[in-house]
Amino acid sequence: MATSMRGLTQFIADIRGARVKELEEKRINKEMANIRKKFKDGNLDGYQKKKYVAKIVFTYILGYKVDVGHMEAVNLISSPKYSEKQIGYLAVTLLMHENSDFLRLVVNSIRKDLDSNSEVDNCLALHAIANVGGSEMAEALSEDVHRLLISPTSQSFVKKKAALTLLRLYRKHPEVIPAAEWALRIVSIMDDQDLGVVICVTSLVMALAQDHLDAFAVCYTKAVDRLHRLVIGHEYSATYAYYKVPSPWLQVKLLRLLQYYPPTEDPTISSILHQVLQTIMNNCGEPTRNVQHNNAQHAVLFEAIGLAIHLDTNSPLVGTAAVLLARFISSKETNVRYLGLDTMAHLAARAESLDSIKIHQNTIILSLRDKDISVRRRALDLLYSMCDVDNSEIIVGELLRYLRVADYALREEMVLKIAILTEKYANSYKWYVDMILQLISTAGEHVGDEVWFRVVQIVTNTEDLQEYAAKAVFEHLKAPSTHESLVKVGGYILGEYGHLIANEPGYSPLEQFQLLHSKSQFCVAATRALLLSTYIKWVNVFPEIKPQLLNIFERYRHVLDAELQQRACEFYALASRPDDDEFLQNICEEMPPFPPRVSALLGSLNRKHGDTGDKRTWIHGGKEANLDREITKRKTLMVDTSGSDNTASGPAVGGQDIMNALAGLTISPSPNAPSSTPLLEAPSNQPRLTTGASVDRWFDKLTYAAEGVLYEDVQIQVGIKSRYQSHIGQLAVYLGNKVDAPLTSFTATVHVSDPEALSVSFAKIPPSTISSRSQTQQLLHVECKKVFTTPPILTVSFLAGSHQTISIRLPIVLTKFFEHVKLGQSDFFERWKLIGGEREAQSIFSVVSGHRLNVLEEIDPNPNNLVAAGVLHMSVEGKVGCLLRLEPNREAKLCRLTVRSTSGDVATEVQKLVQKPLMVSQVP
Amino acid sequence: MIHAVLIFNTSGVSRLTKFYTPLHQSIQSVVQKIFSLVSTRPAGLCNFLDAPELEEFLGFKGDADERWRVVYRSYATLYFIFVVDGAESELGILDLIQVLVESLDRAFENVCELDLVFHFDEVHHILAEIIQGGLVLETNVEEIDVSVQEAARARKDSFASSNPLSLGGSGLGPRGGNMKTPLGWLTGKLTGVGAR
Repeated sequence: MATSMRGLTQFIADIRGARVKELEEKRINKEMANIRKKFKDGNLDGYQKKKYVAKIVFTYILGYKVDVGHMEAVNLISSPKYSEKQIGYLAVTLLMHENSDFLRLVVNSIRKDLDSNSEVDNCLALHAIANVGGSEMAEALSEDVHRLLISPTSQSFVKKKAALTLLRLYRKHPEVIPAAEWALRIVSIMDDQDLGVVICVTSLVMALAQDHLDAFAVCYTKAVDRLHRLVIGHEYSATYAYYKVPSPWLQVKLLRLLQYYPPTEDPTISSILHQVLQTIMNNCGEPTRNVQHNNAQHAVLFEAIGLAIHLDTNSPLVGTAAVLLARFISSKETNVRYLGLDTMAHLAARAESLDSIKIHQNTIILSLRDKDISVRRRALDLLYSMCDVDNSEIIVGELLRYLRVADYALREEMVLKIAILTEKYANSYKWYVDMILQLISTAGEHVGDEVWFRVVQIVTNTEDLQEYAAKAVFEHLKAPSTHESLVKVGGYILGEYGHLIANEPGYSPLEQFQLLHSKSQFCVAATRALLLSTYIKWVNVFPEIKPQLLNIFERYRHVLDAELQQRACEFYALASRPDDDEFLQNICEEMPPFPPRVSALLGSLNRKHGDTGDKRTWIHGGKEANLDREITKRKTLMVDTSGSDNTASGPAVGGQDIMNALAGLTISPSPNAPSSTPLLEAPSNQPRLTTGASVDRWFDKLTYAAEGVLYEDVQIQVGIKSRYQSHIGQLAVYLGNKVDAPLTSFTATVHVSDPEALSVSFAKIPPSTISSRSQTQQLLHVECKKVFTTPPILTVSFLAGSHQTISIRLPIVLTKFFEHVKLGQSDFFERWKLIGGEREAQSIFSVVSGHRLNVLEEIDPNPNNLVAAGVLHMSVEGKVGCLLRLEPNREAKLCRLTVRSTSGDVATEVQKLVQKPLMVSQVP
Repeated sequence: MIHAVLIFNTSGVSRLTKFYTPLHQSIQSVVQKIFSLVSTRPAGLCNFLDAPELEEFLGFKGDADERWRVVYRSYATLYFIFVVDGAESELGILDLIQVLVESLDRAFENVCELDLVFHFDEVHHILAEIIQGGLVLETNVEEIDVSVQEAARARKDSFASSNPLSLGGSGLGPRGGNMKTPLGWLTGKLTGVGAR
C-alpha cells in the first residue's frame, strides 16, 4: 500500500536519487515542512493523513529525527478503515516509546480494537501493546489481553499474539498479572493443537514460571510430554518442520524451560526426559550437507546438553555430551567451535569433576588464538570456569601470556578474571604476589583500583609474605616504564616493609628512595600524595636518608594542590621534630592487619542488572559459585512469593550473593566447597481441596476399601482400584469423561506434602485429552518410605468449555501398608505388655470394622473384644509392628480402641484411621 | 529476548531498523556502530559476536555473563542483524533470520534490496508476524505467509472501499504488479493492487 500512494513513492524515489547526503537532507526538510504545513491547516481526509504519516515513518526509518505526526498517527488508529488503521499502528509502534505521553490517547482505541469482532483488528492492537505497552497499559489492558488468550473462540493467530503481549505486560508491570492464579489456565494452553500457539505460550510460561516456580510446576510435565511427542513420537504438522527438524525453536524453548526447575524426582518423567535427550544426542551423529539443517539440529543439541548438565553432571548422558563437545571445539565450523566452548563452560561451571574437560586443556588454550574474537571470548570464559588449584598455574600463566597480545576490548575483563583466579586458586602466597605484580606491569591501564587494594590487603595480613613482596615489587619497579598502579603498590609496600630488606645488597634505603622517587614525576597528584606518606614512614625507619626526604617535603609545601600541600606541611613538621622524639615513631607504627574481608573483585564482575529479561540458568565460574547462586535465587524467590512486596529485598540479597561467592576466599591449598546451606522450607503450596457433601464420604470409604468411586460430578468421574504389597502399592485411577465433548488440556498431578516419607508417581504421563464418554486408566506407583500422616492430593484440571480444576485426597493412608501377622494368645499379650503404655494411643467410642490388620480370633478372654495385629512396611524406616485391641461396652454404648506399636507415631496414626470410619458409621 | 532487528546493506545504509528496547542514543549511531563491528569481520568467522560496545546505546546489560550479543547473517548485498541477550539460543536466532528471509522472499518473489526500500511498511508487517515485542511469534513460513496475506487482503478491501476510483477490488490478482522500479507506482495505480 505504500506504493499505492503516489506521493510517497515519489518521495522515496527522490531520496534514492539524491546523490549526496546534503541533497537527501534537503529533500527531507522540504517534505517535513510541507507536512507540517498540511497538518497545521488541518482538514485532511484519512487517505491524506495516511500518506503523510507513511512519509514520516519512512523518514524515521532512514534514521532522521521526526517530531510531527504523532497526533495524526493516533487519529489513524481509530479509523474504521484497516489500511489507515494499520499505518496508524505502525507509526505508533515506531515513533513512540513506552513512556510517550501520546500513548495515553490511544489506550481507549486499543481497547476498542481488542474488543472488536475482527481478528485482524485484535492483532493490530495486541501488536501495538506488545511493542510500546508500559505499566499504564498493563493496568488498563491486561485483563482484555488475558481474555483473548484464553477465550475458546480466539483464533490461533490471536492467541499467539495475546500470549506474547501478556508477557510484555508482565515484564513491564508484574504486579498487575495474577500469575499464580492464572497459572493452570495458561499452562493448559501448552497442549494446544497449533505448535505456533505452543511456542508463544511456552515463552510466556517460561517468564512467569521463573518467578512462580511452584504455581507453574505443572508445566514441567507438559514440557517433557511435548518434547517426547516432538522428538520421539514425531507428532507435529509437517509445516512446523524446519529443514526436517521438528520446530527447533519450540524444542529449544522447552529444553530451556526445564532448566529453570530443579531436576524432577518423578522417575517416570525423568526416564522419559532421559529418552528424549538421548535421542537428540543420537540424532546429531550424522551431519548433513545442508547448513540450515545442521544449524537447527545443533541449536537443539546444545540446549539439550545444557539441560543434561543441569539434571545431573554425573549421568552417562553428560559423558556422551562431553565427548561430543570435545569434537565440537576443534570443529571446522566457527559457529560450532563457539557454541562448543560455550557449552563446555557450562559443564565446567557445574561439573563435580573437571577431568573430562582438562584433557582438552591444550585445545582450549589454543582457542585463545582463534581467528575470531567471539571464539576467543568463549575460550577465555571456559578457561575461567575450568580453572582449579591443579591447573591454575598453567591457566593463569597462559592468560598472562595471552594478555600481552589480546584484543583491546578483551583486556579489562581478562585482567579481572586473572586477578580472581590468581587469588582463588593460589597454591602459595609468593606465586600470588608474582602473578599480580606481573599482571599490573603487563596491563596496568586495565587494572582497577580494587586489584591493587587487594594485594596490599593480603600482604599486610600475611606476615611471612612481606619481605618477599617488598623485594618483588622493587624488582618490578626497576622496569623503565611502569604503570601508576605499580607505583602505588610499590609506594605502599616499600613504605611499610621496605625496612625488612634494607640490609640486603641492592635494596638499601637510598636505592629504594631513588627508584621510587624517579617514578614520582610521571604520576598524578593522588599517587604523589601516597608517595609522601611512604616518605614519612621512611623518615621513621631510615634516618640515613632523612635529609633527602625533608628536602622533598620542603619542596611540596609550596605546591598548588591542596591535598599535597597539606600533607607536605604536616609531614615536614613531623619530620623536623628532634630525633629522640617518640611522637613520629608512634604515628608510623606498622599498619594493623585488615579485618578479614571479601574481595571486591567478583563484585565488579557480577554487577547487578535489572530483572526484566530471562535469567541465566548458570554463571561462569566454578561449581561453588553456581551452588551459592542457586541458593540465593531460591531464597529471593521465597521472599517474593511469601507476598512481602519488599522490592528492596531483591537487590539486597543479590548483593549478598556476591559476598557469598567470595566468602572464605582466603588462600588455602584446596578451597572446600561451602557446606550447602539447607534451603529454606518451601512455603506450603498445597492445592485447595475440592469440597462437597460426598467427597469426604467417598474418601473415608476408600481408606479401608480397595476400590470404589473417589469423586464424581456432572463432567467427570474418578474411580480407584488399589493393590498393596508390603511398602509398595499400585493405584489404578479411572478417569471417566461423562460429557459429549472431549476434555482437552487434561492434566493430572499428585501433590505429596512430605516426599521424604511417601512417593507417588504416575507410571506414564497422563494423556492430554479424554474423548467424549470414555474412560482412561492411569497407574500410580506408590512407595511408603516413612511414617506419614497426610494423604497425597490428586489435582485434575481440564478444559470443558471453561477451565476446571478438581483437587481431591487420594485414599493412600498408613494402614494400607500393613501386612497380616499371625500371633498366638501368649505371643500377643507378651508383646502387648512389652510395648507398654508409653507408645499407646487410646480412645473410647462405639462400634467395629477392619483395615489391613488381621483380626486374631480367640485371644482375648472377653469374646466381645476384638484384637488385631499387623506389620507396617516402609522402605526407609523398615518394619513396624502394631497391635490393636478394641473393647466394646454394650451397656455404656461405648467402645475402647487401644493401639500399641513400637513407634508412637504409628500408634497415633493407626488409631486415628481405624477410629474414623467407626465414628462415622455411628452418625447417620 | 530479541532487542533489535536491523537490515542494512554492505555500504551501511539501513533498510530496516526495529528496536524492541528503548534506545539511549540515535538510531543512526547504533547502526553505524553495529555496521562497523560486523562489516570488519571477514567471511568464515562465526555468526555471533559479543558486543559490550552496545551498552552505551542499549543500556547496561547485567553482569559479565549477560552481555549483548549480535547474531548476523549476510545475504547478497544485505546484512541481517539481530541483537539479542543470553536468553536466546544463538543458532535458534540464526534459523530465525533464515525464516525472515524466506518469508520476505515469499512475499516479494525473489526479494531484493529495492523491495525493502519501497515496501518498508510491508517489511515491518512481515516482521511483526515473526517477532512481536522482542519475542518469537511464529516460525512457520506457511503460517507467516497466511497472516501476511490476510492483513494484505483486509487492507486492500478497505482501500478499495475508500477509493471508489481504484479499478481493482479485492478480486484482482493478489500478487501482480510486483514493482522493482521507482516507476512501479504507476502499474500499482493502474491495477489497483495496493500491497505490492
